[in-house]
Amino acid sequence: MAISLRIRKRQTPLKLQSGLVLAGALVLSLALSALLLKLQGKPAGQAMLVIFQGAFGSLWALEDSLIKAVPIFLCSLGVAVAFRLQIWNIGAEGQYALGAVGASWVALSFPSLPWYLLQPLMLAAASVTGGLWGLIPAVLKLRMRTNEIIVTLMLNYIAILFLDYLVYGPWKDPRSFGFPMTRQFDTAAVVSKIGESNLNWGILVCVAAGVIFWIFFRFTRYGYEIKAGGENIRAARYARIPYDYLVMLVMVLSGALAGWAGFLEVSATVNRLEPSIMVGYGYTAIVVAWLARLNPLFIGVASLLLAGLRVGVEQLQLDFQVPAAFGQIMEGLILLTVLAGGFFVNYRFYLGKKD
Amino acid sequence: MDDLIFILAITLKSSIPVLLASLGEIITERSGILNLGVEGMMLVGALAGFVVGQQSGSLLLGFGGAMAAGMLLALVHAFFCIHLRASQVISGLAVTILATGLSSFLGRPFIGRVGIHLGSLPVGPLAEVPLVGPVLAQQNWLCLAALALVPLTAWALAGSWPGLSIRAVGEDPEAADAAGVPVAPIRYACTLFGGLLAGLGGAYLSLVYTPGWKEGMTGGQGWIAIAMVIFATWRPGRALLGALLFGGLTALQFYFQATGAELVPAWILRLLPYLLTVGILFLVTVLKRTRFGAAPAALGQPFFRG
Amino acid sequence: MKKVLSVMATALLLVTFCGGMAAAKDFQVGFVYVSPIGDAGWSWAHDQGRKALDKMPGVKTSFVESVPEGQDAERVILNMARKGYRIIFATSYGYMDPMLKVAKKFPKTVFMHCSGFKTAKNMGNYFGRMYQARFLTGMVAGAMTKSNIIGYVAAFPIPEVIRGINAFALGVQSVNPKAQVRVVWTKTWYDPATEKEAAKSLLDVGADVLTQHQDSPATQEAAQEKGAYSIGYNSDMSKFAPKAHLVAAVWNWSPFYRYIVEQVEKGTWKAKAYWWGIDKGIVNISPMGPMVPQAVKDKVLAAKKDLISGKLKVFAGPVADQKGDTKIADGKVASDKELLGMTWFVKGVVGSTQ
Repeated sequence: MAISLRIRKRQTPLKLQSGLVLAGALVLSLALSALLLKLQGKPAGQAMLVIFQGAFGSLWALEDSLIKAVPIFLCSLGVAVAFRLQIWNIGAEGQYALGAVGASWVALSFPSLPWYLLQPLMLAAASVTGGLWGLIPAVLKLRMRTNEIIVTLMLNYIAILFLDYLVYGPWKDPRSFGFPMTRQFDTAAVVSKIGESNLNWGILVCVAAGVIFWIFFRFTRYGYEIKAGGENIRAARYARIPYDYLVMLVMVLSGALAGWAGFLEVSATVNRLEPSIMVGYGYTAIVVAWLARLNPLFIGVASLLLAGLRVGVEQLQLDFQVPAAFGQIMEGLILLTVLAGGFFVNYRFYLGKKD
Repeated sequence: MDDLIFILAITLKSSIPVLLASLGEIITERSGILNLGVEGMMLVGALAGFVVGQQSGSLLLGFGGAMAAGMLLALVHAFFCIHLRASQVISGLAVTILATGLSSFLGRPFIGRVGIHLGSLPVGPLAEVPLVGPVLAQQNWLCLAALALVPLTAWALAGSWPGLSIRAVGEDPEAADAAGVPVAPIRYACTLFGGLLAGLGGAYLSLVYTPGWKEGMTGGQGWIAIAMVIFATWRPGRALLGALLFGGLTALQFYFQATGAELVPAWILRLLPYLLTVGILFLVTVLKRTRFGAAPAALGQPFFRG
Repeated sequence: MKKVLSVMATALLLVTFCGGMAAAKDFQVGFVYVSPIGDAGWSWAHDQGRKALDKMPGVKTSFVESVPEGQDAERVILNMARKGYRIIFATSYGYMDPMLKVAKKFPKTVFMHCSGFKTAKNMGNYFGRMYQARFLTGMVAGAMTKSNIIGYVAAFPIPEVIRGINAFALGVQSVNPKAQVRVVWTKTWYDPATEKEAAKSLLDVGADVLTQHQDSPATQEAAQEKGAYSIGYNSDMSKFAPKAHLVAAVWNWSPFYRYIVEQVEKGTWKAKAYWWGIDKGIVNISPMGPMVPQAVKDKVLAAKKDLISGKLKVFAGPVADQKGDTKIADGKVASDKELLGMTWFVKGVVGSTQ
């Protein structure tokens, strides 16, 4: 009879200590990253400070990180709505693309409208196109029982090809010297900046979306039913929760939110539709939603941290000529250490006797 | 005739990395582990294969290094999924992100270096055989090995004792455990095998198909391999078919452009793989009752004993 | 805990302070790249130019790589401007509008955008007349082909690429009017496996000389495997395919970057379009391989001399498009504006500009 280390699932996951575990995980990942830099002969400690400084160290830096966090936040919020019902929507990338297309269509078709009509119309169009792109996999799932992971993934490719087709073909600006982009939107179609800062009013859309998300899940019947349905489909069906309807609802909401991100990107930051708006926010969103455990406030924090990391790494490149790939390494390490930390929150060790 | 030979030869030669990676992923998923780290494992395999090959001058060591690198990453993924019971989706994504970064970071000094590479098969008199001969003459032994792996894995999964255990673990780990099948070791072995093949697929790129190390040289082939597993409904034979079909569509797209004969517009050929995958998914789900091919029941779920 | 915090704060201050010191002393030059410099192609060529600046006394350079066009580009450029960089070079077309936005806010910083057409009071644009080098490499291809089919693996149908293909085809036709140039679009700047497949399809339809507008050397490797010839782009690619590599059309950004830094230092820099040609060495051809006959070499080098002196113009009429319609009339030379917006193929090119 030997004594060995055994593992058991905790009755209730750690609550208070989980914050500590998370902090420990983050510190560990930073230490590992620093070690890698040290091995390459770079001043590791200083480098870590530079990242922090570049991300949050000044008002400007904070502003930059906030701007970068906006599309990640909206896509992530969208993904989280679907995840709460255990619907694995990894199609935020395509829904974002379609939202951008919808908003651009309005901006290009009705240029003479005043901004207070045009911009809401663009937002509505982005919701419809993004939402529809989310509805397709939902309907296929319900009618044909196809796996939504694969369908949403394939729809991403199709959406991007469609966007490319538009900007290389019918929507190409005749004055762009043949480059794939639509003409620049009129000022009425551009979400304006807040005062003297670089932030645009889109940040308000984010706050509103986050608050509505919270209210929806906290106080409405549908919100409650989605949560219940996500925890146990069978029980939910017995309780006469309209599961099929909910699947369509979450996918439409999910797609619409990603669509909003697409709208803000073409309207506020790029001012036109072009292929370069596709930089993988939809995939980052999945990671963020998971890190934040589908909680809207945490999604905000996680989006800002991840955006900050990416902004900070640019600073690192400037100051120490570290390759851009270092940012990916840090992201990977953070994910893995947090993942490992999750284990300590949910399980506990004890010494037991081997039989 | 020549055109057909060309399309067949290029299709075969270009679809090997996806075939290797998807064969590995089939084994991994059959044991109940979803591995989204394939793209990262291929990249690290490509880098390791090139570097080891270049430094040692030996192709065998190069391929060995690639397989070892792929397995090392797979070990990380397996540890997180099996021992730490972590989310397999996130663990796989994390491995891909980390490995992509690491391969660019560590591979920077090797960019633009000329290493060794594997040449075509000496087919000898076989070259005279119509159709087969000329197609074969453009392949190499790794390509043949990959093809040989298809019936091998299919046989192993279908009838043999290890195949039976793998399937048992992937379908119902609790029952398998009760029957005395070692769940965790089998899942480890299958995940490592998947990593090994993904690494080899990467090395096929850096040592055979496009010799040399270039950042991000897999160009998303790892993700295609994962889609291929679903396309193939977890059957090795169908994975070969799928890999050839995907490779063939790309070859055709360029071929039509090169000949100037736009029989089918390029954008349709570009869309087809994605539409086809959705289409196959329909078929699979419609024919589910006949066991035409369903996902392993315990795919993605951690197994926890006691 | 308090102690740790205070140490961290001190360190933070120190870093900030040192950073500020460096900015005040050095003449800082920033580069924005669209891909990792490890692609051994476009960004790599610019980075060689950047390294040349580092050797200038008092000049300190830095770069950010893999910057997507759009939101991220604006932030990176803005950040460099805030840090007091004297000159910022943005090396991709899609950086044009983001750079223009930032330029308006930092009137004292010099902004230089590559491959676009917009300027501002403190923003110029620049490019090289790569089409001149393409023309010369086309002459080599035209002389070396036996099947009279030459393959061109190209990334995206944008004017820069189309211009290069046209110049190349005109070069081919200047020595071999019967040869045709076949174009295959890969729709990617950089994907070795895809580029190789495209190259192979061209070899299969009988092309015996290949060239590329791509960032990887995959096309060169494909040509060597099939025993065909190849022509490189971006840099001398002969080490990737020594038996196939005839010549390459290469970028050499160092003289230009050095010139701009000197002009800014002297205060004589002007915000205009810098479109340098082969006469200033910004584009060139690499040494020709041993398989190129001396007669061909002489002819190409003579043409190079004429291009440098201005006696020879690449886009001099009459030039017809694929349908045979005259695009550049006899006796006329295409203007820079026409070249910038070129969206049609010259006669003798097989392929579509879609």
